[in-house]
Amino acid sequence: MKRFLFAAFISFLASAATIGLLGRLAPEDRPGAAAARPVSAEELARHGSSGDCWLAVEGGVYDVTSYVSSHPAPERVLTDWCGKEATEAFRTKGAGRPHGEEARALLETFRVGALR
Amino acid sequence: MSLPPRRLIGDAALALLAAAPLAWACLGAGGPALLFLGRAAAVLGLALLLLAAMISARIPGLDLWFGGLTRLWRLHHLLGAASFLLLMAHPLLLSFAAARFSVSAASAVLFPGPSAWGVWAGWAALAAMAGFLAPTFSFFGAPEYQRWKSLHALSGAAIALGLAHALASGALLTGAAARAWWGSYGALALLAFAWRAFAARRFARKGYTVAAANAAGRGVVELTLRPDGRLLERRPGQFVYLTPLDTSLAAGRGEEHPYTLSSAPDEPVLRVVVKDLGDASRALQSVAVGSRALVEGPFGEFFPRGGAGAPELWIAGGVGLTPFLSRVRELGPSRPVDAHLVYCVQDETRAHFRAELEAAAARFPGFRLSMHYFAQEGPLTAAFLRTRCPDAARRAAFVCGPPALIAAARTELRRAGVPASRVHAEDFNWL
Repeated sequence: MKRFLFAAFISFLASAATIGLLGRLAPEDRPGAAAARPVSAEELARHGSSGDCWLAVEGGVYDVTSYVSSHPAPERVLTDWCGKEATEAFRTKGAGRPHGEEARALLETFRVGALR
Repeated sequence: MSLPPRRLIGDAALALLAAAPLAWACLGAGGPALLFLGRAAAVLGLALLLLAAMISARIPGLDLWFGGLTRLWRLHHLLGAASFLLLMAHPLLLSFAAARFSVSAASAVLFPGPSAWGVWAGWAALAAMAGFLAPTFSFFGAPEYQRWKSLHALSGAAIALGLAHALASGALLTGAAARAWWGSYGALALLAFAWRAFAARRFARKGYTVAAANAAGRGVVELTLRPDGRLLERRPGQFVYLTPLDTSLAAGRGEEHPYTLSSAPDEPVLRVVVKDLGDASRALQSVAVGSRALVEGPFGEFFPRGGAGAPELWIAGGVGLTPFLSRVRELGPSRPVDAHLVYCVQDETRAHFRAELEAAAARFPGFRLSMHYFAQEGPLTAAFLRTRCPDAARRAAFVCGPPALIAAARTELRRAGVPASRVHAEDFNWL
């Protein structure tokens, strides 16, 4: 068991370091200049369907189209907010429960701009 | 062999407590499999970590629900290892779940911005866990006992940080449910810690005086301890934690170490056999007679309550003789026994207590003794067992000694026809 745990521990460190390094080295999908691009409410509203879904959360605008089918809750819970300001819904999940930190981190990777 | 029902209840309660938060959290949970597995690993892993803390407190009587303290310690060890594996799998699984979107999403789950303090608390908890488990699982060689003990105190930090992470970042158990589950488990772990750190010193440790220290051979001493007050209730095969307070000791003063009782349960004193295996036990060889000591216990359940239900075969390796010595010393007209002791030592100079054992064998017809000298006869074999104890196969075997001897004895006993269910072994490597 000792050897197995040691191997698992080293594998874990190596995997986490690799993932972290890849994240740093993959500039193409990192939120960059686009993150600050001003997005108007009208532009946001134009992306209001499940096939083209942007939402605004805490001042940021996010294109979550690719994520819609993976959302843990039923699809409509998310698609109802496409094209809209969804901060309150994100904070409460509709049942008074906030999203986890990893959901927040994930959301950041979909950022396309900031709500004007 | 049917398990003692008490142990079944203890094990079932532990399994139930381990699974309950996850079962609760799973009600109505859904989503992609990797995401769910990542979150489930966290809930189960944290529950196991908190349970490991709870059962480690050495609360008097608790060990009997788990088949004795050595088995409880083994459970603690297994829970800790399982928890560590699950809590390492947890962030990786969450990261893999996010990898479908982008590489940077997978990375952001593990290493978010500085404001996501909940995630960083989780990292700190994992680092503390690695810190206190590394010596336990000998990542970098076997540690010295007291250093291991002080590093294990990091477990408190790991638990506090883990709970903070679960409450801040938890996605499966959230809000009031998270507070209720983790609050109650955390409070129980804290109570266990408080018992160990404060109350046990005051209530569980009793004052004794070292009444005699008789050398049994080179590097082996038998200490006689006289209680200040009432003597504790004990059975053969049980052990105590001894804290010597002798100010002249070169090492180990005020440190507690476990020792098996060698005295018979009806003696007005306690006796323990101490072999010089480390600094503290080496110093104890010359402990001052008349000095003070604290004793906590007894613990363990090597010999089952109500007897073995069959004639017994005892296999002792070196100082592993102690629990059998206690049995031999309680023999008498009212306590007959049908037991065959195979006492394995390196050579005759290490055959401590042999004269006493031979005298008992001559006096009590039900008790027989076979010496096994590794230097002359090599390793213990099934052939040796069958020759010396022809009816070995129908006996219940009890083995006590170093891990290597226990492993060898298990193999040879199986070859000699003793089913594994009738082999009871105890090594004290876990304490």
